[in-house]
Amino acid sequence: MGRNTTFLILGTVFGFTLSRVGASEYDLIYGMFTGTDLTLAWVMITAIIIGHFGMRLLNLAGGKTRRGEKVSVKAKPLKSITIVGGLIMGVGWGLSGACPGTVLAQLGEGKFIALGTIAGLVLGTYTYALLVERGSDSPG
Amino acid sequence: MNGLYESIFVNPWPWWVGGLIIGILVPLLYYSENTALGVSTGYGSVIKLLRPRSRLKWLNSKSFEEGPGWRIFFLGGMILGAFISARLGGRPLLTGEMGIFTATVSWSPLATALFFAVGGFFLGLGARIAGGCTSGHSIHGLANLQISSVVATIGFLAAGTFTTYLVRVFILGGGG
Repeated sequence: MGRNTTFLILGTVFGFTLSRVGASEYDLIYGMFTGTDLTLAWVMITAIIIGHFGMRLLNLAGGKTRRGEKVSVKAKPLKSITIVGGLIMGVGWGLSGACPGTVLAQLGEGKFIALGTIAGLVLGTYTYALLVERGSDSPG
Repeated sequence: MNGLYESIFVNPWPWWVGGLIIGILVPLLYYSENTALGVSTGYGSVIKLLRPRSRLKWLNSKSFEEGPGWRIFFLGGMILGAFISARLGGRPLLTGEMGIFTATVSWSPLATALFFAVGGFFLGLGARIAGGCTSGHSIHGLANLQISSVVATIGFLAAGTFTTYLVRVFILGGGG
């Protein structure tokens, strides 16, 4: 199976799951941040734990991909600006009730307000590209 | 059989089923394509698709050397997967609802979408500065015990909680 087909299928599984577990519901994000409904916090905690032990299992099995390459996990660099980016992203999370992944699930479900969030995401990403152009931050 | 169909395709899944599948995607993406789970860089691929000849340095960095590349397929798949979920679940094809927000605030759909676009702008800019979003940092990064993901996730949650408080008090009138 080709690379793009694989990503299309795994993306479909991801989007289907986000939708079925309710990560695309404004109220569940709102409930997580107001502490009234922690469903999505539990989804994330479970995913982190399963992801962690899944990676251990993959390494125990030889740490190879299906094509026999060595699995390489690159650490995302910690910069002094990482926390600033995290805070800015969090403001967006609170305002839109979505993150860059779940907004795609909202769109797929037919919630057309998500088009606004997505337009903003593209614009915010483009602004980052313009900032990289002016500043000394190395493109990542 | 009706009960089985409903619990798979209509009723929301319990949190652990969703967490289990999303968690498995982390090693599965490495096993199949040696790739870290992540979404937000894909919005750079969308720009690459819209403006293929842009000379901006970041749009010509390593992430985009194949052009828009695989990320477009991953993001497209996510839309498709949710579309399938909504169709099998018998949801409306199009809806302007956004939960308690649209139930409380009586703005026009355009004004609502513009408000959400401001949120989207912060999501896009912040995720790039932080080097990832909920998928890349909070799921993939934390599963791989990366310190930058701990820092980024603390930022996501702190600002998300504070901003939601402001939205609750000043836009939703303290309701909910």
